Amino acid sequence: MKQVALIFGYNDYGSQIAKNIIQKYKEVIIFKLDDDELRSDMQEHIIESFDLSDEWSSIEKKYDLNECVAFCVLEDDAENIFLTISLRSQFKDLMIIALSSDKESANKLSMAGANKVIPVVQTTAQMISDILDKPVVTEVLHSLLYEQSNLKVAEIKLEDASYFKGEFPTQVKWELDYNIMLLSVIHTNGNNEFLYSSKERHHPLEDGDSLVVVGYEADIELFKKRIGVVK
Amino acid sequence: MFKDWIVDAAYALQTSNRYQKTRKFFYNLLENSSFQYKRYFDITMVVLIIVSVTILIREVKHDVPSYIVDLNTYFISFIFFIEYLLRLWISSSVSKTIIEHKEKDTLLERDFNLSLAFWRIVQDKLKYMTSITAIIDLLAILPFFHQLRLLRIFILFRVFKLFRYARSVQTFASVLISKKFEFFTLFIFSSIIIFVSSVLIYIMEANNPNSAVNTLYEAFYWSIVTISTVGYGDITPTSTESRFVAMLVITAGIAVLAFTTSLVVSAFTEKLDEIKELKSIDDLAKIEEFYIICGYEKIAQEVCKNLVKNNKLLILDEDPLRIEQAHKDGFEALNYDPGSIESYKRLHIDMNKQVKAILCLRESDVENVYTTLTVRSFNKKVSILSLLINNNNRKKLEFAGVNEILYSKELVGLVAREFVGKPVAFEAIHALRSELNNINIDELLVTQRIAQNFTFVEELVHRKYRLLLLGIYKKSHKHFFFNPMGSMVLEEGDVLLIIGNVMFMKEFEQYLNKKRVK
Repeated sequence: MKQVALIFGYNDYGSQIAKNIIQKYKEVIIFKLDDDELRSDMQEHIIESFDLSDEWSSIEKKYDLNECVAFCVLEDDAENIFLTISLRSQFKDLMIIALSSDKESANKLSMAGANKVIPVVQTTAQMISDILDKPVVTEVLHSLLYEQSNLKVAEIKLEDASYFKGEFPTQVKWELDYNIMLLSVIHTNGNNEFLYSSKERHHPLEDGDSLVVVGYEADIELFKKRIGVVK
Repeated sequence: MFKDWIVDAAYALQTSNRYQKTRKFFYNLLENSSFQYKRYFDITMVVLIIVSVTILIREVKHDVPSYIVDLNTYFISFIFFIEYLLRLWISSSVSKTIIEHKEKDTLLERDFNLSLAFWRIVQDKLKYMTSITAIIDLLAILPFFHQLRLLRIFILFRVFKLFRYARSVQTFASVLISKKFEFFTLFIFSSIIIFVSSVLIYIMEANNPNSAVNTLYEAFYWSIVTISTVGYGDITPTSTESRFVAMLVITAGIAVLAFTTSLVVSAFTEKLDEIKELKSIDDLAKIEEFYIICGYEKIAQEVCKNLVKNNKLLILDEDPLRIEQAHKDGFEALNYDPGSIESYKRLHIDMNKQVKAILCLRESDVENVYTTLTVRSFNKKVSILSLLINNNNRKKLEFAGVNEILYSKELVGLVAREFVGKPVAFEAIHALRSELNNINIDELLVTQRIAQNFTFVEELVHRKYRLLLLGIYKKSHKHFFFNPMGSMVLEEGDVLLIIGNVMFMKEFEQYLNKKRVK
C-alpha cells in the first residue's frame, strides 16, 4: 500500500477523492493551479501549488514517488492528459489514477501512461442504469464495495496453498464450511478467473494465487486463520 | 317550473358518474385514437363498409339473396345510424351548456333564459351535423329507406366513411389542407385556362362540320382532358387557330401538373416532423412501461445506450440539435421542453401506469430542479431520478421532490477509494458488472409460479447450473440475506442474486419456471 496520495486537481473531484481516501494514506496532498480560487471545503487538507510546466523537482525532493499514488483530476481533459504524460515521463514507477470525461480521453490517458482511468460519464451512466435495471444488485454491490455493511469483499493472497492440498476451487465447499463465497481466483500469471467459469474447473489452487471472496468480516478473518494466511 | 326541471336534470346528468363514464367511454371509442378498444371498433366498421359495398357491386349484375340485401339495407344501416346518433351525442354536451348558461345568468342576477341555452345547443349540434364527415355519415344511412331505389347508390358514401377509420387518410387530408391557399390559387388559374380555352375552341370549331365540337359542354370536356395531359383523342382541334389554342392549353397543363406535384411534395416535407411526432405519440400509448429521459447530453446518451437493451425509452429535450442526435442514435425522441407541463399533456400517457421513472439528466442543476418541480406539480407518485452537478444544490433537488440523486463527483471519490484500497476486488466486481467473459451478476425475481414450484432454497439446485447464489433479498424483511440457509423459505417478491454464465442463468430461470406446479 502506498503511503502518500498526491491529488492534482483543486476541484469537486479532488475534494471527494480526498474525503474518501484520507483514512487509507498517511498523507494526502492536494495540488492547486495558481489561478484556482481558495475553497472552504478543502481547508483541512495540505494544499500545495503546481504548474503544468513544472519539472517536478520540488515534489521529488519532498516525497518518495515510489511510495506515492497520483490522482490526475483536472477538469479540462487536455490539461489532465498533459499532466499525466508529464508525470509519467518523469516518474516511471509512479501509480497514476486519472479522470476522463469520456472514452476518447480515457484512451488518450492510458496512452499517456495512466495506470487506471476513471471515465466519469460512463461510470455515472453505468451506475444510473444499474440502479434502474438491477436495484438489488446495485445496492448489495454498493454496500460491498463501499463498506456500508458487515458484508465485505476481500482479496486473500495464498502464499502457501498447502491447506487446499491441490483441490480445484469448485471442489471446496466455501459456503458451507466457511460461510464465504469465492468470486474469483487471480492466478500467479495475473489471469483473473471467475469461479464457475469453464477454465476455472481445471485449475487447482496454487501458491501465489489470490482469492476474491465475499463474506462477513468475522467469517473472512476466521477463514484467513484456518488457511494460515493470518497466524 | 319547466326551467327548474330542465336545470335539475342537467345538474343530475353532469354530476352522475355513470352517465359521465358512459359518455366518456363512447367518446374514447369514437374519437380517442389512443383508447385501446377504438382499434377494434374501427376494424369492425371497416369490415361492415367493405361488406356493404361488396353486396352493392354484386347486385349490379347478379342476383343476391334477399336476406343478404336486407342485412345490407337494415342491419348495417342501423349500426351506422346508431353510430351517427352517438357521434351527435358526444359532439357537444347539452347538460354542460344548460349549466353554463344558468350559472352565467345567476352571476349576472337575471332570469335564466332557457331559449337562449336551447339555441346554443341547436347551434352546436348543427355545427357538427353540417361538417363534411357528419354529412357523409348521414348519406351513408340513407339506403335504409330502400323504397327510394335511387337512395341505394348512397351506399357508395359508406366508402367515404373509411376516411374516419384510416388515420393515414386523415393525415393526408390535413397535409393538403395546410396548403389550401396555394391549391385555391392553382384552382383559379386552371379554371380560367379551362374557361377561356373552352370558349375559344367552341367559337372556332362549333360551326366546322369536320369538328367533333358541337356544344360548349364538348368544348369544356376537351379542355379538361387536354389540360390534365390525358388527351383521349376523341375530340381533336381541326383548324390552325384551334390547334394554337390546344398548344397553349397543353403547355398550361404541364405547368399545372408540375405545380400540383411540387405543392403536395412541399406540404409533406414541411409536415414530415409533425407526422413523425404524431406517430411517436401514437406508438407511445401502446407501450406498457417506459422511462422518460429529460435531456440528451453526454451522460444521458450513455444511460440510453445502457437502458435500451432491456427497456423502452422516450427522450425529451428542447434542443433540436440534441433531438436530431437522439434520432440518429436510434432513439424515440421528441423536441418537447421537459420543463413544461404542456409537453406531458401532449403525450397522452398515464404517468402512474406507463412511466417507470423520469430521469432528469441535464448537466445543469437549475434545469433538473425545474423539470422535477414541473413533474411534481401534476404528479406526486412517479419516481424521479436526477443528476446532481453541484453538491450545494442537493437540498434543492430533494426539496423539489427527486426520489434518487446521483452525484457523479461523489461516485468518482468512492470508485477511487475502492480502487486504491482493494484493486483486485474492485476489478473483479467491475468485471462482474460489465459481463466480461459472459460472467454476470443478476437478480431473479421470485414470481408466484416460482414460489409455488420451490418452497425452500435448498430445492433450487443452482449449483447444477454452475451458478453462485450470493444471497436473497427478502421482500417481507426488506433485508439482504447473504449465503442463505437451505431451509430458508422462498416467498413471492423475493429477489435472488445470482452470479454465473449468462447462458446458464437463462437456463436456470427457465428451469425455475418450467417445473410443474405441485
